[in-house]
Amino acid sequence: MKPMGICAQLLAIGLAAAVGTAAEAAEITVTMAGGMFSPPTVKASRGDIIRFVNDDAQAHNIFVPTKGFSVDLGKQDPGKVTTLPVAKAGNFAVECVIKQGMTMTVEVNP
Amino acid sequence: MNRIILLAAAASAVVVSGYAVAGPERIAFPEGYQTKFVRYLEVDRPDRKIIRIMYVNPEANVLAKPNAEIPDGTVLIMEDRPAELDAAGAPKLTADGRMIATDKVGAVFLMEKHKGWGEAYSADKRNGDWDYAWFNGDGSRKADAKFDGCFSCHQSRDKRDFTFTYWKSVADGTHK
Repeated sequence: MKPMGICAQLLAIGLAAAVGTAAEAAEITVTMAGGMFSPPTVKASRGDIIRFVNDDAQAHNIFVPTKGFSVDLGKQDPGKVTTLPVAKAGNFAVECVIKQGMTMTVEVNP
Repeated sequence: MNRIILLAAAASAVVVSGYAVAGPERIAFPEGYQTKFVRYLEVDRPDRKIIRIMYVNPEANVLAKPNAEIPDGTVLIMEDRPAELDAAGAPKLTADGRMIATDKVGAVFLMEKHKGWGEAYSADKRNGDWDYAWFNGDGSRKADAKFDGCFSCHQSRDKRDFTFTYWKSVADGTHK
């Protein structure tokens, strides 16, 4: 069997890396119910998407106050889903704008 | 003579009370804030396609301590800027997933606190000693601005001296 040329080998490695990266990106679900986030801590990787589901009877509003990650996703009515892509490694806090004390943390690995 | 005395008495009453008149008029637009104030945070708001840039006046900022009441005389600014958009109208993002602010200033919202300012409001409305003001991007005061929404929303942060970002930034040590 003829061995693969260098170009073919590099192409194979590149394709494997691309497929591997796409396969590793995950969607992580966080539920809001009873005025709490569940789970209260999430470990994610760069490229993952955190999916916030409002299973509560009241509206919530996802807010990240941490410098470098800060975002306000706006009001989220009961039953609605909002998503937060995590493109950067590091740790950040998540709060609800509406309910004081409703917090969680996200750890994003490189 | 009596009229002069009455006018002087009225003027004195205003001066002695300090801030007898509540509301946005007692907050002045801080000229040059973009260079004179400390820019301590940027908050992406993808649903509105804006970035909110947060500033604080430096003379109060140096006095701020973690998990303590925010210093008297603190002026906080939230400056709204439109995001850069791609051809499809979606916000452009950096490699870190952050939105990119244009140079245009859409609106400038201020929070300012002074001892006793909160006394002008009912107990169920007041946010400590804070008051609010709303300016257009050119520094002119926004006509017919309403502030009930400010007071009610910030009420949810009464344990952080009524702030969503500044208290946290001081606690995290990222306010400088």
